[in-house]
Amino acid sequence: MIIAEWKPLSELTAKLRGHKKILLVGCATCVAECAAGGEKEVETLAPLLRMALHKEGHPAEVVTRTLERQCEWEFVEELAPLIPQVDAVLSIACGIGIQAVAERYSEVPVYPGVNTTALAIREEPGLWLARCQACGDCGLGETFGICPVARCAKSLQNGPCGGTRKDGKCEVDENLECVWYQIVKRAEARGQLDKLLEFRPAKNWSNSLHGGPKRVLREDLRP
Amino acid sequence: MTREDLQSGFKPEIILLYCRRCVEEEADLFIAAKATSRFAAKLVMMPCTSKVEESHLLKLLAEGADGVQVVGCPYQQCQRLLGNLQAERRIEHARGYLREIGLGAERLGMERGLHFSGLQLLLLAEKRAHAVRPLGPNPMKGERIP
Repeated sequence: MIIAEWKPLSELTAKLRGHKKILLVGCATCVAECAAGGEKEVETLAPLLRMALHKEGHPAEVVTRTLERQCEWEFVEELAPLIPQVDAVLSIACGIGIQAVAERYSEVPVYPGVNTTALAIREEPGLWLARCQACGDCGLGETFGICPVARCAKSLQNGPCGGTRKDGKCEVDENLECVWYQIVKRAEARGQLDKLLEFRPAKNWSNSLHGGPKRVLREDLRP
Repeated sequence: MTREDLQSGFKPEIILLYCRRCVEEEADLFIAAKATSRFAAKLVMMPCTSKVEESHLLKLLAEGADGVQVVGCPYQQCQRLLGNLQAERRIEHARGYLREIGLGAERLGMERGLHFSGLQLLLLAEKRAHAVRPLGPNPMKGERIP
């Protein structure tokens, strides 16, 4: 899922000061799963914003709506009747949802209420860990299903750095496993350590962040 | 209560949310809005404190309550096993937000116990009233948007 975190309340109120009626929009998909932008979080943030803005001397009405998916135009359309009634929108969906709302309703200012953080898995309740960086050239087949791009602090592709701790943790963060230690352990368990010695051509990084905006085009699905 | 409080006329309005398992049966008969010369309390029964969400607590404050007191069962005596612990964590989290926006974390709190009578619940509401008195009335009271 895409994970996100609320921005500090002071940052939100600084943007919203002066607006009299604010639409707070959540998304019931990824950001709901990571407890940042679902209906529950919308209904928590709304009274907080009202109180914070009132305390700062800028009282505002906050109306709420949570869309099923803020990254799909069909669902974004549901906001159409509400937009003429408000003078600002605060979205706590991921960056995709925020941009969808801003694009469809360009007549009102749309502010981000969260920082979109990563593509992650819920490791345990209250803990999400990054698992993918959408690098555009997946090599999980060669690394026994463990991604060194997202999970190695240095995104190393050909084995661990010299900083693996004795207990198999990463030198950068003692709470994180060294991902190459994990890869080697999994290879060993499968009796395929030699697979890690196979030649791997250089990764195609042009599909990653460095190659400009990405697009996927499927002619067979187009209207 | 100090002489200054009496003179200021500030009579905190407290919402008390209590778990039905931690009161005596007859306490239910007592449940109503109660007002004394020092504070006003509204007592609301819940099936378990685990049903308390941060949004509920913050909405009550945004609507003008001066304080919210949650009353749950003692540690390890929650009939729903972890409900009272979940409530405690949510309350502490919400208190952090209240601190952050400068409204005062003391407006929100939790007490624990069993076999409370209606009168004892009122005393717990008074305890919250005492905690919020230094903060003064909730600025959200009578909120008007120009």
